[in-house]
Amino acid sequence: MQKKEVSEKLTALFALKIGNISGQLEETARDYFGSDNKLMDEDEIADLSSEFVNLISGLLGSKDPHKRTSPQFHALEAFFSGLAQRMLMRGGNVEDVVRYAQQLQHNLIAALEKDSGVAFTQSRSVLLFFAQHFDELIMAIFRTYLAERENTLKAQEAELRETSTPITEIWDGVLTLPIIGTLDSSRTMLVMEALLNRIARDHARAVVMDLTGVKNIDSQVSHHLIQMVRAVQLMGSDAIITGIHPEIARALVSLNIDLSGVTTRASLSDGLKEAFLRLGIHVSHKES
Amino acid sequence: MSIPGIHLTRIGKGNFLLEPLRSMNIQDQNELLQQVVAQVQQGQGAHLYYDLSEQPVIDRVYYDWLDKLARTCQAANLKMTCINMQPTAAFTLSKFITGKPAFACALDVPD
Repeated sequence: MQKKEVSEKLTALFALKIGNISGQLEETARDYFGSDNKLMDEDEIADLSSEFVNLISGLLGSKDPHKRTSPQFHALEAFFSGLAQRMLMRGGNVEDVVRYAQQLQHNLIAALEKDSGVAFTQSRSVLLFFAQHFDELIMAIFRTYLAERENTLKAQEAELRETSTPITEIWDGVLTLPIIGTLDSSRTMLVMEALLNRIARDHARAVVMDLTGVKNIDSQVSHHLIQMVRAVQLMGSDAIITGIHPEIARALVSLNIDLSGVTTRASLSDGLKEAFLRLGIHVSHKES
Repeated sequence: MSIPGIHLTRIGKGNFLLEPLRSMNIQDQNELLQQVVAQVQQGQGAHLYYDLSEQPVIDRVYYDWLDKLARTCQAANLKMTCINMQPTAAFTLSKFITGKPAFACALDVPD
């Protein structure tokens, strides 16, 4: 008997011609994105609610409203993904979007009940139907949030890489690369990639790598450093390493790193002088 | 006299430019080594520039060929310089060579 009543309400739900309930749902959007948050203006809130009502109406009227692979359900997923993306870009947080979706679920059922006169809020099957669908829609919000976060992190990493390896052409054909901070294997590889591409692009004849800002070096990194010098030389450029701290020098010796084929100078200034000398550039004080 | 898979051009006094073609077969090294050195000597060359601009990766087999050619040139009193090595090739090659290669390296043929 109970089962029959439940089915009837669900059938009534799917057969429902949804009236104009978007006005009732606008308050939910206003609570989370309007008023103090100022993430949306009134027109956007009205559009958002109206679009949602159209989409949910499309799903309920589809051939199989339970199916979460239907185009109608995908359209709803895309709606929530787009909303999450927009709100995150405007400085909103994912929690507000999730809470909006949860609140929307409750308010939607109440609005449908009010519109149709059928007691949907008393039906377990109707509540379960919406709960399952909205759980999936909240997952879509989280997926968007994670993808956005990953993109942001990647962009920040790329920016950090750019700023941590500032390769500068200090003179025609002379590149300087001040390395600051800890050199690990992955960073050394990134530096090497950027440096070799820059040599090819600028046709640099000398590269001065300044290690003044490097405090620690391990066996693997020292090998990478030598590999970087070798790669620079293979491209036909001169590699000069400057600013090797005593601790780094001691570490290189204890690691049996052969520096015989590597030109080293005490400071960046000395390294530049050496590079200029090799290129036949003479820099002198202006005679008074 | 043309060498299969190799384009060898005289560029200025005593300089030769070697441009490997896609059809170059380094499996047949001995024949190629002899032909290259013979042609440079006939042209009274002293310096061989090996253009690597079309070689994105240098593996052990290719490095072995370059090494043999450079040492053959040395034996014939010729200097060999590899030019236009690509960043990817320099990266892969620097990973497995331990010492200084038998050939010199330059960005391009000097003006």
